Amino acid sequence: MSGVVLDDLTKRYDGGALAVNKLNLDIKDGEFVCLVGPSGCGKTTALRMIAGLEDITSGEVRIGDRVVNNLPPRDRDIAMVFQSYALYPHMSVRDNMAFGLQLRKTPKADIDKAVVDAARILDLERFLDRKPGQLSGGQRQRVALGRAIVRDPAVFLMDEPLSNLDAKLRVQTRAEIARMHTRLEATMIYVTHDQVEAMTMGDRIAVINEGVLQQAGSPKELYELPQNRFVAGFIGSPSMNFVEVKVDVSGGTVKLSEEGVELIPDDVQSALLRDSGLEKVIVGFRPEHLIAGVPPGPGLRITAAIDVIEFLGNDQLIHGITEGHDIVAIVNADTELSVGESVVLSTEPRRLHLFNPTTGERIAKAA
Amino acid sequence: MSAVRAASLPATSTPRKRRVRLRPSRIVVNVVLAAIAIFWLVPAIGLAIISLRPESAFDQSGWWTVLTAPAQLTFSNYQALFAQGFKPGGVLDSLTTSLAITIPVTILVTVISSLSAYSLVFGRWRGRTLVFLLIVAMLVLPLQMALIPVASLYSAIGSATGFKLFGSVIGTIIFHVAFGLPFGIFLMRNFYTGIPHDLLEAGRIDGAGEWTLFRRVVLPLGLPAAASLAIFQFIWVWNDLLVSLIFLTGNTHQTLTLFLYGQTRFLASNYWIIATGGMISIVIPLIVFFAFQRFFVRGVLAGAVK
Amino acid sequence: MTVGDVAEVLPDAPKQEVLPTTGQPVGGGGFRSHLGSLLFLLPGIIWLAIIVVYPFIATIVRSLFDSSGTNFIGFDNYKAIFSTTDIIVALKNNVVWVVVFPFLVTFFGLVFAVLTERIRWSTAFKTIVFMPLVFSATAAGLTWASIFFIDPHTGMVNASIQAVSNKINPPGLYPIDASAGQSVSSLVATDVETGPSGTLQSKSTVNPGSTVQMGLIGISPTTLQQNGAAPAAAPTASSGSVNGLVWRDFSPSHPTTRGQVYPDEQGIPGLHLSLLGANGSVAAATTTAADGSFSFANAGGGPFRVQIDANNFQPGFNGIFFLGTQSLTPTSSLSPTAQAILSLPIVDIAMIIAYLWIWAGFAMVVIGAGLAALNREVLEAAQIDGATEWQTLRRVTVPMLAPVLVVVFVTMLINVLKIFDIIVNMAAPSSQSGASTIALQMYDYFGSDTGKGLAAALAVALFVLVVPAMLLNLKRIRG
Repeated sequence: MSGVVLDDLTKRYDGGALAVNKLNLDIKDGEFVCLVGPSGCGKTTALRMIAGLEDITSGEVRIGDRVVNNLPPRDRDIAMVFQSYALYPHMSVRDNMAFGLQLRKTPKADIDKAVVDAARILDLERFLDRKPGQLSGGQRQRVALGRAIVRDPAVFLMDEPLSNLDAKLRVQTRAEIARMHTRLEATMIYVTHDQVEAMTMGDRIAVINEGVLQQAGSPKELYELPQNRFVAGFIGSPSMNFVEVKVDVSGGTVKLSEEGVELIPDDVQSALLRDSGLEKVIVGFRPEHLIAGVPPGPGLRITAAIDVIEFLGNDQLIHGITEGHDIVAIVNADTELSVGESVVLSTEPRRLHLFNPTTGERIAKAA
Repeated sequence: MSAVRAASLPATSTPRKRRVRLRPSRIVVNVVLAAIAIFWLVPAIGLAIISLRPESAFDQSGWWTVLTAPAQLTFSNYQALFAQGFKPGGVLDSLTTSLAITIPVTILVTVISSLSAYSLVFGRWRGRTLVFLLIVAMLVLPLQMALIPVASLYSAIGSATGFKLFGSVIGTIIFHVAFGLPFGIFLMRNFYTGIPHDLLEAGRIDGAGEWTLFRRVVLPLGLPAAASLAIFQFIWVWNDLLVSLIFLTGNTHQTLTLFLYGQTRFLASNYWIIATGGMISIVIPLIVFFAFQRFFVRGVLAGAVK
Repeated sequence: MTVGDVAEVLPDAPKQEVLPTTGQPVGGGGFRSHLGSLLFLLPGIIWLAIIVVYPFIATIVRSLFDSSGTNFIGFDNYKAIFSTTDIIVALKNNVVWVVVFPFLVTFFGLVFAVLTERIRWSTAFKTIVFMPLVFSATAAGLTWASIFFIDPHTGMVNASIQAVSNKINPPGLYPIDASAGQSVSSLVATDVETGPSGTLQSKSTVNPGSTVQMGLIGISPTTLQQNGAAPAAAPTASSGSVNGLVWRDFSPSHPTTRGQVYPDEQGIPGLHLSLLGANGSVAAATTTAADGSFSFANAGGGPFRVQIDANNFQPGFNGIFFLGTQSLTPTSSLSPTAQAILSLPIVDIAMIIAYLWIWAGFAMVVIGAGLAALNREVLEAAQIDGATEWQTLRRVTVPMLAPVLVVVFVTMLINVLKIFDIIVNMAAPSSQSGASTIALQMYDYFGSDTGKGLAAALAVALFVLVVPAMLLNLKRIRG
């Protein structure tokens, strides 16, 4: 097992397009790190550079102590699970899993043991002599996982392995991968566009957008302290609401006002806003943190006209409109609300995130 | 807390380069393939040059000597053949005969195949699968199986009605069409299965009859496949020898392949005719090939069964 | 148009509800539409029935009758197939084609398809290699016939061999044509005898200060003229040297006299001579002049013999008859039937090369398409699993290509079973029967007066041979 260090990793295509832009990431031995971001953000490219399937334009990839930039994939001690499983269609499940070890001239007895062990872990024993064409999607993905396990690599790389599975299988296989991680104590780098997957599976998550790392941290960190607007809007479902408000520092206190939106910041926030000297600021707040009604004290107040109500069982999802903004809120289903009604939603200051409108950066104390 | 590297390290600028071990083999591959490409071009180039040398030169030295003495190139052979004009059995007449056979066959095969394929795919009668399987079986049927009876049939029709089919262009066309149909129907049918039935159902509900549906919906959509078929069929018939050898004997007119074949007796002495005629015979297929390469290749790919 | 309009136009169509369109046809659609689409099939079906289906059955029936078509002879025609030498030879050639060609063409197609993936000019390469498909087998056969011509002046292959052969074994000025019955000994005329290793030597010994005259016959005047021969003159002696003359000992005016140098006889120029000492060692070397005279100056002690070196008579390369039926297998001592079965005519190999030139492009394009359709990620998985490029190719790529390879192989197999055009156009006229195939035999018997039944049987035989491929196709379509 080894850690992986990405050092200013960059990929530039002929023609100048930057797929990955100076990515820095320090993955510890045994960690499960998710690379997450929208389609085309460069996460898969980064993974393929770690694997050796793409050339590195500049920067370094270190696996353990070794710089692997110029090593071919087979010398990097990695295993990869592909989105399309990439099983050898003409080989049995057993041979699929044994192939890598056969190439390394491992003794047959060892190969057999490794294959049988992996098959047991993944409940594939009955399928060992079948060909991939005779298996279902979920079974194929398990074979792909088995092929990786058998290799006992330093690092596991996974490229959206669950995307081709249906919802139910996805949940099941997610748990299997998590179990695999705990059992093998393996370093895993997992690419996905689904932030729910990332949040549930990763020890740490790296959010990437347009080739640039936005933020890396634990799921809790990303959820509670997003460092920029992109991360704030990407993590969490339904996604965070954003409202741009004018800052008014006259009269000693800071009042943020926008039609239909009233924000009274607490002392810490006031100080930050005053220091920032900004005239406008973006306020973010999560739907699940809104309540109907107005408790006393500082915080956010929004008056919205209810457009759509979606019943979720325990909760209800409210789509509201206030003076040109669409607001989404999740409140308890017991609250009596109806479409067309006007409702006041509020949240506490600690649930508010303030962002610079031009840079998107979080307005916070300099670290 | 966060393990993200806040400050970037001094740029360890690893120069981007391809894995070195690939480079030598890449050069080798390029050299080998270049040699193969040259080898492949040589026969055609040789034929071209032979046709451009004076007829006496053929026996004395190889065409490659032209590389050191380019002045000897001349169009005299072409002039000689063209000077014969359209006399039957000459090159120009053979060219027109080939056209007179190939074009009708191509049109007939393409049209009839499209119609038949429509019926097989969108028709609503039982037995379609059976008919299609019969067509597939016919794909590899050697035309030798039909030669004797059809020749007898032609003769019988000839003596009964006075309409000479054996040894006629029309008789040749009829035979060619018959053996072009299985492949044509196969190709068009496979393409038509990709057209969604919904399209036609919508048309039927709108009141369109089968002919309208065929003409206005299926035929236009099937144009790429029809083009591939037409081109493939064109070149196939243009290059045929056996059918015209059998069904065009006795006719004063010949196809170009017959013309060339007739010269084999004089291989050593009249090779200039063969070379020149050969070049003339490949001009039209080459034009068709280069102009419609994509379609031709697609036809070949689809018909990897002929 | 609306549903209502339809009902008016086709009064017999049942009124239908407008159902949401699905993949299945709605309702019966009425007799009209059934008829319509069935009508479309008619031209094709009729055409095929008359020209393909009926003849198919008719040929099978015809094969059971004799040549006139009136007498039923059962399987006699089929028995004749296996007892007629010409047909056995044809069968043998078909076997040769079937065993060699599909494998080779698929192999080359695969190699080309794989290699072209690595170059940037793959489209140009593919076009070049694919283009010969546009040639008729007739034109291609004629083209390659000229390439394989026996005369090294005009046939490319023989010219290349000659260029190499002349470097290794340069021909002499007076080559011996063994195939015409010549040998070194046939050149002997006056005071000359054959020596070891293809040389000629003077019969008599000669000491410095005296002369020797050596006469040869069997050398053509044209060759002498080409080498610039001058009239021979009797040699003069000079002290210390061994002088002499080598001349063509044939006088048109005294055709039967030997040994005397007549004015109308020519010297033999350009001959390499060696002065042999008593023990046979070479003491000196020289070359004859235009009039055939030579001189070994300062010869030293005698007695000597003058040797005409073997390299003067070295035959040049005269060309291999590639378009002939010389067997590559050693069958000359076998019975005619055994020879028919076991000999491998060299022209088959030449024609196979020509046919490869035509069809390798087809194999390459089809396999190339299959290659492009492969899931790249499987190949990447192999890379990650540890396979080198060669291992990936051998153990992953090629097995995954197996279906495409089979399609190409089978297609070429069927193609080659019916092979005709290239043989009639490329094999030399004298080789036609030795290079014949079933299709050719069928054509020959078709045109004969006495073999029409046999022709039908041959056609049926050809059909029987392609039946396995037919079944394979049907299985593929069905399954």
